[in-house]
Amino acid sequence: MTTFAESATSFISSRPNSALRARAWSTFESVGLPTTTDEVWRYAPLSELDLDRYAVPATPTLTPQSDFAVALGALAATVVRVLDGFLVDIGEPVEGVTVDLNPDLTTLDGDDPLERYASDAFALANVALCPATVVVTVAAGTNVDGPIVIVHSANASASFPRTHLVLERGANATVVEYYEGGANAMVAPVSEYRVADNASLRLVTYQRLDPTAWHVARTTGLLERDGRLSQAVLGMGAHYDRSRNDADLRATGAENELRTTFFGSGAQVHDFRTHQFHRAPRTRSTLLSKGAVADTSRSVYTGLIEIEKGAKRTDARQTNHNLLLSPDAHADSVPNLDIRENDVVCAHASSVGPLNALQRWYLESRGVTRSDAERLMIQGFFLEMLDALPPALAGLVEGDVALALASVPVSA
Amino acid sequence: MTTLTISGLRVAVGGKEVLRGFDLTMNSGEVHVIMGPNGSGKSTLAHAISGHPGYEVLDGSVKLGDVELLSLSATERERAGLFLALQQPMEVPGVRLIDVLEAAGAEREGLAERMADEARRVDLRPELLHRFVNVDLSGGERKRAEMVQFAILRPRFAVLDEIDSGLDVDALGAVARRLAAATTEWGCGVLAITHFRRLLQELTPTTIHVVSGGRVVATGGPELSEVLERDGYEPFRVPNPL
Repeated sequence: MTTFAESATSFISSRPNSALRARAWSTFESVGLPTTTDEVWRYAPLSELDLDRYAVPATPTLTPQSDFAVALGALAATVVRVLDGFLVDIGEPVEGVTVDLNPDLTTLDGDDPLERYASDAFALANVALCPATVVVTVAAGTNVDGPIVIVHSANASASFPRTHLVLERGANATVVEYYEGGANAMVAPVSEYRVADNASLRLVTYQRLDPTAWHVARTTGLLERDGRLSQAVLGMGAHYDRSRNDADLRATGAENELRTTFFGSGAQVHDFRTHQFHRAPRTRSTLLSKGAVADTSRSVYTGLIEIEKGAKRTDARQTNHNLLLSPDAHADSVPNLDIRENDVVCAHASSVGPLNALQRWYLESRGVTRSDAERLMIQGFFLEMLDALPPALAGLVEGDVALALASVPVSA
Repeated sequence: MTTLTISGLRVAVGGKEVLRGFDLTMNSGEVHVIMGPNGSGKSTLAHAISGHPGYEVLDGSVKLGDVELLSLSATERERAGLFLALQQPMEVPGVRLIDVLEAAGAEREGLAERMADEARRVDLRPELLHRFVNVDLSGGERKRAEMVQFAILRPRFAVLDEIDSGLDVDALGAVARRLAAATTEWGCGVLAITHFRRLLQELTPTTIHVVSGGRVVATGGPELSEVLERDGYEPFRVPNPL
């Protein structure tokens, strides 16, 4: 039986850029997996994580995609398929959109990824073990009709998808990243999104992995002048679901809207980390995190708004609402502010509590049972995230969310 | 024929008794209007009989046929045949009306089409019903949207709280015509609460009840509205015992 390290070493030696990968791997080994004594990993069930249960695949395992992925694709402008991190289908050609594989492992800024991800073990593993970077570029001034769908299927026991989305100056696009599969697997994606001057990216990430999966994701938005990133992250699946979503608002007028939602059942843990970094004047960020935990599941939301000196007239808002659906469920909310400029508007609010009783009564007085009313309202957290999508596609995801929630006993 | 019987109803809100022995009886297919000044207990009646949280029933009974509504949950009251249209219909973000109506028991087959037809009957653009429940709708649109709920759910009795507030004359006419049609379409009993007389020009009542101090102080035919027109509520005012 091969260990995870053996499979990694063999993978690295077979790929381009093996020197950089080997450096990333040895940094990963010296950094080591985090432990729960590390505050930012405090709630992760790390004692259950045994890397030797996983092996890095040399090639993707081909399997048919799910009916849902097929239906999603049918409503898309184009579908890019990624299997176990390997790009297997670049989709139909769309005017102004290119899909490439880049063996280079630098960041979108052209920096050394070992510096960017210096102490992040899973991101370092991604640098070492991703097959290549999947790069989707929307050319300057292009307005893409219909969403670009990226279907990530995890069939191997470990996969490290690496994605760069680039919207050039004035480009406009909607992208859906969908993750499925992942039974008894670890999926550790790293994504970066560059939104150039006056460009606009609406992004929906729908994580619907198997309930046995470990999902550790990291995304970074790089926002240029008047660039706009509207990002929705829906965490439904996985045993441990961690999503770190950062935005670097580096030029005047950049705007980031981030909405995250999750539903926890069984012994799931949803762990959301955000960092909105305002480095330029008149930048705006709004963050809304809304989720529900049932059974013995738990959620963690930790968000940092950081405003650099000189980022005058920045407007940053952060809101987190958690819903407890069982006495054994638990939600933690830790908003943080680090502000080094006076001329700013900054607000944060968080709450842990039950559903709005009057809204629930209103639905009941229409003849809906209490449990259905609660289910509809919790489902509503997710539905509110989908307004970037065309109605047909939103409807499809709504149906899938409803299906996922239907099997869970809900009682607020 | 079914009867809605409210007898001796006493309700407190925030520890203060607002309804003090309210009695009213009406039959299916009839249109009753409750009129009274602000603070007379009209809205409390509507909320209490539909199980709104925060209304404490101290005594009395509300029966729909043989069924005592006050011992039922809000859901069960609707399912027993009672529908409430609110003065200010509530927003429920993230929830779609079609899903609510289906969960309430409406037949899914052709539901979207039936909703669109009913929307057109009250001059509401059907696409507004695709939004989340009452979200981003004007006050008048919300009331028309509730008429769509009403028409799909086909209750035996509908209680309409301040149905004319926030509605312009055209909208009020459309809503009143829909309610009137329901009295013959499925024998719906309509109990409309208002403090404006203009509703009576649109919705022809069988009976008018004047409410003051938390109880019905006068009941009569449409001619009662002429008395109200001439003399206002003052002749009906009862001394407040508190």
